Amino acid sequence: MSVTTLPIVAEGLQRYFGSGDDEVKAVDGVDLRIEAGEVFGFLGPNGAGKSTTVRMLTTLLSPTGGSARVAGFDVVEQANEVRRNIGVALQDAAIDPLMTGAELLKLQAVLYGLPKNQHASRAGELLERVGLTAAGDRRVGTYSGGMRRRLDLALSLIHEPSVLFLDEPTTGLDPMSRMSLWEEIRRLNNDGTTVLLTTQYLEEADQLAERIAIIDHGVIVRKGRPAELKGEVGSPTLFVTVDDGAVEQATTIVQTFGELRPSPEGALGVGLTDGSSAVSNVVRTLDDAGITVRNLELREPSLDDVFAEATGYRLEGADA
Amino acid sequence: MTVALHPSTFAQTAEMSKRSILALWRQPALVVPSLIFPLFFAALGTSSFSRATSLPGFPAVDSYLDFALAGAVVQGVLFGSTVGATALATDIENGFFDRLLSSPTTRSGIIIGRMAGGMVYGGLQTLFFILILLPFGLSIEGGVGGMLAMAVGGTILALAIGALMCAMAIKTGSSEAVQGAFPLVFIALFFSSAFFPRETMSGIYARLADINPISHLVEGFRDLTIEGLSMSAVLRTILIPLALAAITVTLSLRTLERRLGAR
Repeated sequence: MSVTTLPIVAEGLQRYFGSGDDEVKAVDGVDLRIEAGEVFGFLGPNGAGKSTTVRMLTTLLSPTGGSARVAGFDVVEQANEVRRNIGVALQDAAIDPLMTGAELLKLQAVLYGLPKNQHASRAGELLERVGLTAAGDRRVGTYSGGMRRRLDLALSLIHEPSVLFLDEPTTGLDPMSRMSLWEEIRRLNNDGTTVLLTTQYLEEADQLAERIAIIDHGVIVRKGRPAELKGEVGSPTLFVTVDDGAVEQATTIVQTFGELRPSPEGALGVGLTDGSSAVSNVVRTLDDAGITVRNLELREPSLDDVFAEATGYRLEGADA
Repeated sequence: MTVALHPSTFAQTAEMSKRSILALWRQPALVVPSLIFPLFFAALGTSSFSRATSLPGFPAVDSYLDFALAGAVVQGVLFGSTVGATALATDIENGFFDRLLSSPTTRSGIIIGRMAGGMVYGGLQTLFFILILLPFGLSIEGGVGGMLAMAVGGTILALAIGALMCAMAIKTGSSEAVQGAFPLVFIALFFSSAFFPRETMSGIYARLADINPISHLVEGFRDLTIEGLSMSAVLRTILIPLALAAITVTLSLRTLERRLGAR
């Protein structure tokens, strides 16, 4: 597929804020090539540049440098064509609380120019799709967080867009609501929709995305299929917790089994060069040195490790 | 894509206007103060300033109420027109504004759509003040034509002030900032002939009132009330807010462009 027909292409995309000493390079040269029918995960902590990138791709912010094409159109020169072809659900389920779900769908149908005779049927169809048929005539102010996200998703689907942007679609949701949203995203993707999804949840990226990019300080530090990226990290990580006084000595010992890796507070992390069979050796050597092991945890390579290896720190609240 | 999509600017603006009118309807607490305060001022003025009408320079009126109507109407519309801008700031705060901007909608449609509620309200407010004060001795020399001209003027004035507040909303993205800036509009009202005729003023106060477009606007309303229907009064009642609106709507669109580029 040639570059111009890819649903999302970015080349050297930049966005700086402020000037002089206060200049912040929120996005500093992002390259993306997202294939048709793909779910692409954009993974990074708060402030990494995920949302700024999405805002540029959805024409809400002009780039400082570089270029991007979405659905075949330039995001600056052909912003209106881009807008007609994309669906957007931004952070925090931005919905007017004074209106009902059905009214918002109607408004959205008019904004996107759906033929009038299809407004009601399309609204009903989408409400059913996201499980809000019963709540359609209630004001959004009375919806739960999960319901708002689902309505937000329905709103972004009104014109059956071929490219869908979801900015942190499940942040702050309970596990049940998160699952049901994941299911809906998979279903949309099966129907052929290209999805760019940003998330700070490793599990979400792992579950949904065929390819991911890890972004940190405005720069993409890793890009690829989750399985490949995990394979690149290679060895499993062993986390050892010892008494405070023995940390220094224990560090010297575990280092002989592999390189140190970022770890949660209070623990020592080491990538085991010889694989998980080295665990008993580590424990024995520590024991021989008179160090008591308080806790021991072995983790096969996960996206968390990929992330830690790429950025030098772990995502807070990492759950995968 | 199964259907051909034809977004129409008119339909988009109309639908967003419906939304802003609905929003006012669903939040009566936001609009009630702007109906009551100006009436309160007019009532207070009428009882305390009744003898002021005999001051030299004061126009010949049956009662201060005839004189006070124009000020009350303009004051009420100024009050009411911030409601739309505050709603816009709230849209920005909760992110709904971004949803609108990411859709194939014209920028002016988004601004005017958000102002429409305030405009309809501005027109209705004008008629409401006139109708409620008629039994208390108000007489409109301009008749039905004059009342309609005033309603149109009130409608456009609501757009003019609303769009100014909108520029503020877009610039700051904060509903508190919009409400905080409102007293500035009110100062402009006090440095005008809204509550006393220019002929009774002197010094810097008189000069400020002379160059204040609100003075000329209020006097258009006042001439329709006291003197009768005249081309000059109708033009001042309608053209001054129209000129102000042209400036403030342009200002808010510019601010919006800058926001997309700079934020």
